[in-house]
Amino acid sequence: MKKSTLLILPIIAAFAGVAAVQLDYVPALATTNGSVRPAMPESGDPAQDAQAQDGYVVVQSGRAPKTQAPKPAAPAPGAAPAPKVDETALRYFARQGDKRRLEAEIARLRALYPGWTPPDDPTSVAPQADTALDAMWKLYAAGKLPELRKAIQERQTSEPGWKPPADMLQLVELAESREQLINASDLKQYDTVIRIGSSHNSLLTCSDVDVLWRVAEAFAKTDRAARAKDAYGYILDNCTKPEERLATVQKALPLLSRTDLDVLLAREKTNKDGGKEFDSIRNDLARKAVADAGSDPKLAVSPADMSRVEKLANDIVEPSDPLILGWYYLRRNDPVSAEKWFRLSHDRENAASSSQGLALAMIAQSRPAEAEATIYEWRDSSDGAKAVYMAAVANLLAQDPPVEIAPAILQRMVPEVMMAKDANAAQQLGWYAYLLNQFETASGWFSTALLWKPDDEPSSYGLVLTREQLGDTAGVADIQRRWAGKSDRIARLGELRNTRQRGLVPSPERFGTDTLTATQPTTNPGATLPQDGSGVAATPLSTTLAPTLADRVAETIARTRATQPQNSQYQTEPLQPAPEPRRTRSLQQTTVNTGQRASRGCTTTIDPQTLSPDRAVTRGWCLMDMNRPLEAAAAFERGLLSRSEAAKSDAAYGQSLAYLRAGLADKAAVAASKARQRQSRQIELDTALLASRATDSFTAGRYNEALLALDQRARIAPERNDLMVLRGYAYLNLNRLSDAQRVFEAVAATGSKDGLRGMATVRAIRNKEY
Amino acid sequence: MRLYSLALAVLAALVWSNTSMGQTSAKAHVKPDDWQAYKSHFVDTSGRVIDDANGKISHSESQGYGLLLAYLANSKADFDLIWSFTRTEFLLRDDGLAVWKWDPNSKPHVTDSNNASDGDILIAYALTLAGSGWNRNDLTATAKTMIRAIGKANVIEAQKQLLLLPGVTGFSAADREDGPVINLSYWIFEVFPKFAALDQATDWNRLGKDGLSLIDVARGGPRSLPADWISARTVFKPAKGFPPEFGYNALRIPLYMMRAGVTDRAQLEPLRQGMSPDGTNVAIVDIPSGTATETLTDPGYTIIPALVDCVLDKKKLPESVRSFRPTLYYPSTLHLLSLSFVYGQHPECL
Repeated sequence: MKKSTLLILPIIAAFAGVAAVQLDYVPALATTNGSVRPAMPESGDPAQDAQAQDGYVVVQSGRAPKTQAPKPAAPAPGAAPAPKVDETALRYFARQGDKRRLEAEIARLRALYPGWTPPDDPTSVAPQADTALDAMWKLYAAGKLPELRKAIQERQTSEPGWKPPADMLQLVELAESREQLINASDLKQYDTVIRIGSSHNSLLTCSDVDVLWRVAEAFAKTDRAARAKDAYGYILDNCTKPEERLATVQKALPLLSRTDLDVLLAREKTNKDGGKEFDSIRNDLARKAVADAGSDPKLAVSPADMSRVEKLANDIVEPSDPLILGWYYLRRNDPVSAEKWFRLSHDRENAASSSQGLALAMIAQSRPAEAEATIYEWRDSSDGAKAVYMAAVANLLAQDPPVEIAPAILQRMVPEVMMAKDANAAQQLGWYAYLLNQFETASGWFSTALLWKPDDEPSSYGLVLTREQLGDTAGVADIQRRWAGKSDRIARLGELRNTRQRGLVPSPERFGTDTLTATQPTTNPGATLPQDGSGVAATPLSTTLAPTLADRVAETIARTRATQPQNSQYQTEPLQPAPEPRRTRSLQQTTVNTGQRASRGCTTTIDPQTLSPDRAVTRGWCLMDMNRPLEAAAAFERGLLSRSEAAKSDAAYGQSLAYLRAGLADKAAVAASKARQRQSRQIELDTALLASRATDSFTAGRYNEALLALDQRARIAPERNDLMVLRGYAYLNLNRLSDAQRVFEAVAATGSKDGLRGMATVRAIRNKEY
Repeated sequence: MRLYSLALAVLAALVWSNTSMGQTSAKAHVKPDDWQAYKSHFVDTSGRVIDDANGKISHSESQGYGLLLAYLANSKADFDLIWSFTRTEFLLRDDGLAVWKWDPNSKPHVTDSNNASDGDILIAYALTLAGSGWNRNDLTATAKTMIRAIGKANVIEAQKQLLLLPGVTGFSAADREDGPVINLSYWIFEVFPKFAALDQATDWNRLGKDGLSLIDVARGGPRSLPADWISARTVFKPAKGFPPEFGYNALRIPLYMMRAGVTDRAQLEPLRQGMSPDGTNVAIVDIPSGTATETLTDPGYTIIPALVDCVLDKKKLPESVRSFRPTLYYPSTLHLLSLSFVYGQHPECL
């Protein structure tokens, strides 16, 4: 007890530089732990007895009988006479059976008068005849403080000479201060909280632990962690109610450092059943430590915390704990352990978060095909999941040596790439096609990548190589001209080839495509995982995966140059990127197109009007594969004449996609309405159409319309980063700076440079304005 | 012309600050019946003073007015009632000032921790009066703390003038393009000599004098009236984002001037002419065009021009404004403040 007095005193005194902590208040902090020892009431009046019993039975349970009750010590000779203690409030609460206030009042009086002992039986005094005073105490007990103030004044006016009990004035002042403190605390006015707490020590007792919590919080929120720790510690040292003790540590949890928390936890008691009272909190703390370390690799986790969480993950059959460990190990570049924990979580519940983690761990172990399979079903659950899926796709395509990708997988990847407008994945599709000597397809993908990311050097490089393969010298020259002075390797295409022919293959780094971004999600997958809570940032998983593809291309070039430039002998499986996965056409085409590029089903020019509607649809998809959207649109137009509703729907869908790819949003919208679509397709088309409309409106300077389209789109699909950037600039152009700022901040929070750039623009505009 | 009137204003201000302020006395100038009627309409049992025209919210201004009127009615009990509520529900800010708004329909009732300096001033003023009038040291001590805090957080110097910011945040040159923005009706002129006696950290008398001279500087438009909200960044003009009008705020300026002892015709006459085109009712005036957008007939408003007639020309108050009947919180408050001024200083106008 003595110790705690010393402890809290400096806390209080230091708050507000209030030196006015009166010494006679000190014991309040040490003794008011709510344990009150009034003796058994003894009274001749049975009615009173009953009332008293009601009021006391809990308070004094197990207490000594009257004869053993503590007595006031006889004043030592020469000692100051005992102060006259006003016990009216005490007696009122006792008579009312108001146990809580009685306890608080006894604690308060003990603090004020250290030598004072509560009366053996506070109810023994005959009830006061003063009904007006009783009415006042009633107001006090009901918390009607302004009315009590009014009543006191009224009586003083009507009864000159009447004075309220000193006790009453102190109590009402104290209660008002308590109200004020709590209101200030609710309003986060922490200096006020500390100011009131420091000048009203009587408020700081175990009988009102809420006030102590609020004062402790105010310390923590005003950067006085040591004081906060002392205040929480005071509660643990002095207050005994188990639920309040537990709540105390829980309240300290988000406010104190781990070191300070450990000091508090050390004050825990052992339960009757042998358990520690703060065990659950230790678990949460350990979880938090591991989760935090999962987002910040610089943070160390104690072995105790680590093994606690591992034990929890194994013992409790829930998906969340293993997930924490998964992110932790992933962040620590230990994908093997990460996979183990993600898999455990995934086995318990196949959820987006564990699938994302598992896929990332697989990518990091060069198993992108498994990653693709794992994350595919969750790809639309969040932007983070989409990013992981695109990373899996890019890595799958970029594998070295290139692996054959099952047509079904390829076909489901392509529409995702199209929809996500992922320039990196498109580029990887380009290289993949290139390696299969499907140069026209490669050219289409590199062009597509450049459509989405016009200044992308690696895609331009891919395109220039492809054009060379196709003998398009004018096209090569065009690219070289555009990149003059900006890309050495594009400029020196011929020389490089010659070097290689001499057997001097340049290092992969020379080809260093934008591979880092190809192998990691551009957005932060962990940030979208609520149950993870750790905000795990995407790890640079593998920087060695993708360069090999460019390297591979270099080899191919060397080989093809060394043999026959236009020879197609190295062709293996044809690449069939297609925007629609479930499609019988793929089977047909696989059989039709097994070999040479030249023999593909739609390379020749045919008037679609000469085909049957069904064949025209097949041809339409084939042309889409060749990235010849305008011809495909014409073929689908013919397909619309089919008598089968399904084929008509298919044709309308295909035509809409074709126009979208050709950048003709209005025509795409018309096409989409030509036949009924399945809901999923309708959403897919609407999403793409609205994005396209937003971009068009923006380009035309119609910013409000762009925002309208974005809003409509946001209602049916999550907003992608590039569209958010578009939104930001639309706001900017409408001079809605705050909105622009908010949007760019959100984009920047995903790690996007575009977001940061937008924020800088907003800042620049603001600075100019002021 | 402007220079001349400015000089006059300064002169008047000097005279005023040296003499008239002593006249305010602690004597009850709000009649018990009037106070009772006001109370029964606008003060609830918990001590909350209710603005019934604004969603029954309370604000630091209404609490301040309530305290002031309770003091003027010499009702210690009601003062303590209102003060208890004001202290526990409003005096919450870290800087020692009051939060401005209390809404019965929101939880917590206070959601915005901003202050309003007129509310702070009214509360501190009422505490000052009650502290000295009733020998209540606790009230005086709190008043002192508040006055110091008001000066520290709300009084600035700009363009060689002391200005009163309407609130700690949102009005300064840093917070607004056209800042500092001021509201001349926040200068409750009668308080400044009292504040000066309790606090030397701010030059309160100078703040009062500067404010008085600013009223002339800020007058504009065909009716030559000051706007409620004024940008004091360069040339004084109506602030952006507020209607450019002589409105519900500014109409109390002449009342505050007279209560503080201003009797200068050059200052009062233009306001009286401008605010009451028909000679009786009070107009809300669009400053640029000079047109009246609203005509106010509540006696709580119409008593103000009548009061100018009383002060300048000893004209008796018209019957319509002599007796108090509660209408809405704001005009009723102005009505009682006006009547208390007449009872105390100009019984000859009754």
